[in-house]
Amino acid sequence: MAHRRGSALLVAPVLVLSLFLAGCPKRPATTAASAPPPTGAPAPSTAAPSTSGTPGPAMTPSPAAPGTGAPSATPPRPSEFRETDNLKDVFFDFDRYDIRASDARVLDTNAAWLKTNNSLVLIEGHCDERGTNEYNLALGERRAKATMNYLVGQGVQANRITIISYGKERPTCTEHSEACWAKNRRAHFLVKAR
Amino acid sequence: MRPGRPLGFLIGLVLLAALGGALSSPPAARSQAADVLLNVLATGAKKLNIVIPHFTVVGGADPQGLGRSLSQVTARDLTFSSLFSVVSDVPPIAAGDPAALRAAFANFAAAGAHAGLQGVLTLRGDRAEIEMRLHDLTSPEFRLIGAKKIELPAAQTRRLAHKVADEVVLQFTGEAGVADTKVAYVTSGSGSKELGMMDYDGASAARVTSNNSINISPVWSPDTRSLAFTSYMRGYPYLYRMFPFENRPVQVLAGFLGINTSPAFSPDGRAVALTLSRDGNPEVYLLNLASGAFRRLTTYSGIDTEPSWSPTGREIAFVSERAGGAHIFVMDAEGANVRRLTQAGFNTQPRWSPKGDTIGFTSRQGNFDLWGIGPDGSNLRRLTAGPGNNEGASWAPNGRHLVFQSNRLAGGYQLFTMLADGTEQQPLTRAPGESTSASWSPRLP
Repeated sequence: MAHRRGSALLVAPVLVLSLFLAGCPKRPATTAASAPPPTGAPAPSTAAPSTSGTPGPAMTPSPAAPGTGAPSATPPRPSEFRETDNLKDVFFDFDRYDIRASDARVLDTNAAWLKTNNSLVLIEGHCDERGTNEYNLALGERRAKATMNYLVGQGVQANRITIISYGKERPTCTEHSEACWAKNRRAHFLVKAR
Repeated sequence: MRPGRPLGFLIGLVLLAALGGALSSPPAARSQAADVLLNVLATGAKKLNIVIPHFTVVGGADPQGLGRSLSQVTARDLTFSSLFSVVSDVPPIAAGDPAALRAAFANFAAAGAHAGLQGVLTLRGDRAEIEMRLHDLTSPEFRLIGAKKIELPAAQTRRLAHKVADEVVLQFTGEAGVADTKVAYVTSGSGSKELGMMDYDGASAARVTSNNSINISPVWSPDTRSLAFTSYMRGYPYLYRMFPFENRPVQVLAGFLGINTSPAFSPDGRAVALTLSRDGNPEVYLLNLASGAFRRLTTYSGIDTEPSWSPTGREIAFVSERAGGAHIFVMDAEGANVRRLTQAGFNTQPRWSPKGDTIGFTSRQGNFDLWGIGPDGSNLRRLTAGPGNNEGASWAPNGRHLVFQSNRLAGGYQLFTMLADGTEQQPLTRAPGESTSASWSPRLP
């Protein structure tokens, strides 16, 4: 089952929440809407950063295709989330995204804290500097997703969680060494009150 | 070649293995008048000696010295092509004066020059025009073997020199050169990763985004009018399209939850292959640009990403970890008939040559280096062997050159170029911050 946040808002129909519970079978693509034809009139398809305050891309709402379900609400912008000392980072081996045993205990603690409140949480997936931007964006996505799945498995509601991959774009440590790379291969948590 | 050494081009003629391929173009496609000179190239496997005097300026003043500087741009273009040994910095030849032309080229012909290029530049206000005249210096009377007039707005005068070079290459090989092209790339000089664009030779560099977020993975559309790229300008990594030569807003191509990354325009420009994680993990999709519809091509529970089209548009190379580790696979454009290409190492960034015969990729075996492999898995070969890491190759539209990023020099990654066999590696950028993720444009219109 998929949890969708918010009601049938037509704000950014191209956004489709993909917040699945751990272990859920994969669903077919929910083609709630589509991108505008890029060759069409420029005005309705602009994404000029200053023209809209909506969190998602400013796109002309296209009618939701019948039977495909309503478009989902957009998640809050990453900049709306705040650092917290209550949620500790977890780390990953090179080119891996499975949760290590020692980090599972960290996540258990994180899950326990999350269950004491109802804040939203943003999980950032990060990689070390080695390899390509594109592959690392995929790898960071998998790390954030694996982390999310673990928390959901511990009883944290999936619809409180948003994930974002930064690939190798936002290292915490900038030296070119294994010690530094190990610090960068991480999932990091931020929270937002609601 | 340096001024004052007009005979120097006879020395140091270099064997050019790649030339065989360049000259095997269909004879019908090339200028038949150039056959004599082509024979020089084909039989000798040497560079062709061409003399390029300063362009002759008529019809207006030339306070900027364009006659000289543009001829040098053309000279550098032809040197870069690796097909020519160039003598430049020679005084201009009077326009419309055959006797003066014969006198000017006679000494060079006697010294072994095969071809002479005269450029007549007309400057009039907001327009600039050049007439290029290519002469066979091995023939009596220095026969004219090619002539063409090219006109552009004065603001694009430098492109005239590139277009002349591309026309000279066309005359001798049957395929235009690649000098009138752009390289899009990522520059961190401002403190954030922004998209930049420059002439293929590094000139006229300019930033084309300034949103202070993270902008990566620029790729050119086949018509060279637009760039697709991933940006965090709205917080999350969405896929956008911008029009760097037009006053036209940025468009969203894909804004799904998760990643919207790794764009690749189909050769016909009608579709973009990309990576989305909207179905739970990174998969390769196809975006139909006319309808806006997305179609999923891959199905694997781990990572599938980095699509790259074959020049026919019938197949797509991509990266998958379905075999353990990251490897290069090929599928047809409908997602079927997946086959594995690489067997060892950690392999990403497949980049299909515009000629179709090679898929370049980046392999990690210790450091990162560039390799090539045939689409059928044959002819696996290493293109770089350090120093430093060498990654992110992008093909020139003729498939003879690659631009790539390397951290071989102090200060981080900058862009370099090389021939398709890995030879003639040379720096392209020396810019503040790092310069990465190059995309070599098709030929400009």
